[in-house]
Amino acid sequence: MQPLLELRKVTKEFPGVRALDSVDLHVDRREVVGLIGENGAGKSTLVKILAGIHRIDSGSMLFDGSPASFRSPRDAFNHGLTMVFQEQSIIPTLTVAENIFLGREQEFLRFGVIDKRAMNAAAEVELAKVHLDCNPATKCASLDFAARQMVEIAKALSLDGRIDSDIVILLDEPTSVLERQEIDLLFEIIKELKAKASIIFISHRLDEVLQVSDRVYVLRDGAVVHETASTEATITGLHEHMVGRQLDHEYYRENKQRELFGESVLSVRNLTIEGEFRNLSFDLAEGQILGIAGVVGSGRESFARCLGGLLPPSNGEILVDGKPVRLNQPHQAVLAGFGFVPSERKSEGIVTGLSVSENMTLAAGDRFSRFGFIKFEQERTECQRWIDRLRIRTPSTKTPMQSLSGGNQQKVVLSKWQIFGSKVAVLDHPTRGIDVGAKEDVYELIREMADQGVAIILLGDTLEEVIGLSNSILVLKDGEVSAKFQAPVGAKPDQIELISKMV
Amino acid sequence: MTEKQKELLRNLVPIFTLLALVLGIAAFEPGFLKPANLVTVTADTMTLFLMASGATFVIMLGSIDLSIQAIASMTSCILAALLPMFGGTALLIALAGGATAGVLSGLVVNYFRIPSFVATLAIGGIMTSVAFWASNERSIYISDEDKSTWLNWATGTSVGIDHEVVVGLVVLATLSAILSLTRFGRLVRAVGSQERAVVASGINVNRIKFFAFVISGLMAGLAGIVMAARLGSGSPTLASEFLLPAIACIIVGGTAITGGVGSIWKTFVGALIIAVVRIGMTFVGITVLAQQIVFGLVLVIAVAMTIDRTKVSVVK
Amino acid sequence: MESINWRALAPIGVFFLLCIVIAIFSPNFLSVSNAVRILNASAIPVVLVMGATFVILMGSIDLSVEGIVALCAVVTASLVLNDTFSANLGFWAIPFAVLAGGIIGAANGATHVFLKVPSFMVTLGIGFVCLGIATAALGGFPVRISDRGFRALTLGRTLGLPNGIWLAAAAVFVAYVIQERTRLGRYVYAIGTDEITARQSGVPVERTRILVFVLAGFFSGLAGVMAAAQLGQGHALIASGRLFTTITAVVVGGTALSGGVGSVLNSVVGVLIVIVLTNGMVLMGVPPFVQQGVQGFLIIVAVTLALDRRQLLVVK
Repeated sequence: MQPLLELRKVTKEFPGVRALDSVDLHVDRREVVGLIGENGAGKSTLVKILAGIHRIDSGSMLFDGSPASFRSPRDAFNHGLTMVFQEQSIIPTLTVAENIFLGREQEFLRFGVIDKRAMNAAAEVELAKVHLDCNPATKCASLDFAARQMVEIAKALSLDGRIDSDIVILLDEPTSVLERQEIDLLFEIIKELKAKASIIFISHRLDEVLQVSDRVYVLRDGAVVHETASTEATITGLHEHMVGRQLDHEYYRENKQRELFGESVLSVRNLTIEGEFRNLSFDLAEGQILGIAGVVGSGRESFARCLGGLLPPSNGEILVDGKPVRLNQPHQAVLAGFGFVPSERKSEGIVTGLSVSENMTLAAGDRFSRFGFIKFEQERTECQRWIDRLRIRTPSTKTPMQSLSGGNQQKVVLSKWQIFGSKVAVLDHPTRGIDVGAKEDVYELIREMADQGVAIILLGDTLEEVIGLSNSILVLKDGEVSAKFQAPVGAKPDQIELISKMV
Repeated sequence: MTEKQKELLRNLVPIFTLLALVLGIAAFEPGFLKPANLVTVTADTMTLFLMASGATFVIMLGSIDLSIQAIASMTSCILAALLPMFGGTALLIALAGGATAGVLSGLVVNYFRIPSFVATLAIGGIMTSVAFWASNERSIYISDEDKSTWLNWATGTSVGIDHEVVVGLVVLATLSAILSLTRFGRLVRAVGSQERAVVASGINVNRIKFFAFVISGLMAGLAGIVMAARLGSGSPTLASEFLLPAIACIIVGGTAITGGVGSIWKTFVGALIIAVVRIGMTFVGITVLAQQIVFGLVLVIAVAMTIDRTKVSVVK
Repeated sequence: MESINWRALAPIGVFFLLCIVIAIFSPNFLSVSNAVRILNASAIPVVLVMGATFVILMGSIDLSVEGIVALCAVVTASLVLNDTFSANLGFWAIPFAVLAGGIIGAANGATHVFLKVPSFMVTLGIGFVCLGIATAALGGFPVRISDRGFRALTLGRTLGLPNGIWLAAAAVFVAYVIQERTRLGRYVYAIGTDEITARQSGVPVERTRILVFVLAGFFSGLAGVMAAAQLGQGHALIASGRLFTTITAVVVGGTALSGGVGSVLNSVVGVLIVIVLTNGMVLMGVPPFVQQGVQGFLIIVAVTLALDRRQLLVVK
């Protein structure tokens, strides 16, 4: 039988990265397909291609046997491919019924006026399919998270019977915010849905994937590395396929890894942000690199932003050099000695309108000014020294920041905190979106910072990176520490060990 | 290199526009190019420039100040009402009034998180009320005696140069120095370029915004004083017509409302362009009454040309 | 069962509280004739806020209200029997004037959407263009309406109430139906709440934005007609102060400037609050010029209370 949805040799490149590499994938009618992979394996790119947000560079996509290329999420929807996003696409100020039929009010129009009764009645039918017992005239803002997710699914299902072709529903991490009971209900619904639709199920919880799927694809580095029937798969087997190549010790400059550290710099005690992470405690010494591992939603991003002063903690204590510090504002964090390198380099890391040197001295401006007037010559000399030292490729200190490559921009961001003299560097995906050569430079720089006594907290782009660079590793799962590993040279923990604590 | 060329082009377009306009008028009326006439034209433009000069800081932040005309009217009233009683101190009180308005706008924007266009609209309304109160709802004349004693610095002439021009050039030099030589000036540019990155670098962005609004209020206040000095009176509606041309001259000079790009001399050039356009319109025979039409269109077109669309994903 | 939305009810509470306070200080307040006076004074502002509410619900703003009202008042006055032009269309002038408002609204919307210029800038510029046209077309003079029958549009009474009040009530009805029962109304909420999601769900964002500005233009046009009929003339300054009242009323009514939250009915309450406050101040002998200041203050308070600060990372 011809599959309902088929991807043939689909490739997608972004500047510097091949996000998808000749991916073959198909979904049969009335089938549940699981899709798993580590962060950055290419899952989200694949989703965006199916949703019509990205176009494919080469290869082809067939829907119901004919070539398809969706122009927008709406276009994909109209063709029968609908998704339930992790970030919900519900408009809270509209009612349940209005959300289900948003953009498709046509069938309820009487002389240009919406027949609300008819619309609500139609919505009841869709809500019954997901067993959600709520008044369709309720505003979505008053529903809890799980109910909104059900409304999303009802919205997707409302296609059934309204278009000619069969439908594919893509569920992207649908269980990450649901309680156990709600998850069970969702799985019940998925079983019922199979009578009408095909489903792609993306989750980092492998047990759930095996529970609901008929077949599983494993993605790694943008390619499908494994495909198996769920009945034949085991969790450990899937873990092995998810983790990548063997660790390259030289790549991560392990020969430069410190094993002896200085004084203790940072103590974190029971740090909590409600709804993000709970009771985080650890100590960090000068020159020590602490890796934080965890999947998206594990709370590690919020933890990094918390240390940057961008998300105020709701509970717990942070001590720098033994003194408690407050981190309610970024400038408090900077003064306390934290240097935060954000994952969104373009919007939070660099100031595009300013020059290289202006970016470098942004935080340490007081040192380069007298009575508010900038000491240009001193600034230029110091910045030039850092440019030479970090091998930042730029014509001059005055070059506009946006004309530098991603890797060189990131080096500027790192040098900003070096120049300021931060005691603790918080690196949130420092190598995201930069090319291989620049990555090695960044690793080199991280080692140098450690040598100089900077304590480093690292959220790596990949698991290898975290293992390769860190002295010790905290694994976060659902907002709590699920494991701690020591990672000295020669006795680095195994990726499979880590991943089994993450998912 | 292309980035630099674009930058150069952006800087040159307003200047060439100004030159073309001046030469265009000179073709109709050769006397226009006489130095004395050019000085007079510049002097007439200075109140507009003063009003726009401080607001340039606010616009470079990516915000806007819609209260400058109300502030200028208010300080004209304060000055005219208090000169007979307090003499020169009235000048300081008027300036302080302008600065206070800026302080209020800054506080409202920072601590109540209200978008600047609404905050300054509201503060402008309050300042208008203050102006009516201070002037008792009428125009207040400034006696010739007071004028020559206290306002000669603004309206007199020395060696054939109108003092307005001197005041304008001093403001131009001072504000340019603040913008390009100080840390504050650099941070204004930074906030306008990429506010989130500046915040993440541990800079107290609120303080930068606050002082930008204060400078805007102060300069609008100074503009009101010079206007009152020139006209010999203060009135609560003295500067009402100046908001549109003031914003227009900032934008026409090449400062983008999306923030990050701009300078004081650009506003200076912009003010001259607006002045010359105004003179040009009377030459071409467009009545004074219709000039708002032209300025309104110029404003929209200039904004559309200078705006940085990569910066805003959703235009509201 | 939905919990009661206190924020939506708060304006009504404020309204009654205000009435009680004023009634205590000034017993004249609670008379039938004063109630009719308040309703009559509310008629034009109510029509104006109908359009403005939709624009603000979308997260945009319309600063061209005064310009459109003035221009449409001039169009109306010029098309009925008047002292300046030889036209006598009577009530047929109304569709032309309202259409003129719609066309200007279309210009606002199209410029905003196609040139991707923020609405406050577009409407600021186009508002001035309208004022300029209204001024220049009449050489700065008013057009006086000689058609007595036409003036009955607002001055005449039906069932004991001035016709203007009935017109305003009709406008509210139409606006409410549009808000609740048409795709346009629903799309306005969707765009104002989350434009990106709305677009992904297939909401025609550009078309909706333009249509909303056209709708706002229609309402402003109708307000212009009513203003002309009420005052018996059309001139450029006929709408002075209307913008301020409109924005104050919308935000005081509880519609959030960030978009998505609010309703045309909220804005009706907002208008009543503003007008009752004005009326009360007059009854209590507060000088009229204080009103603008009070309204400015109200804007700041109301916007502060209505803002959902969690959503605001960067305020410009």
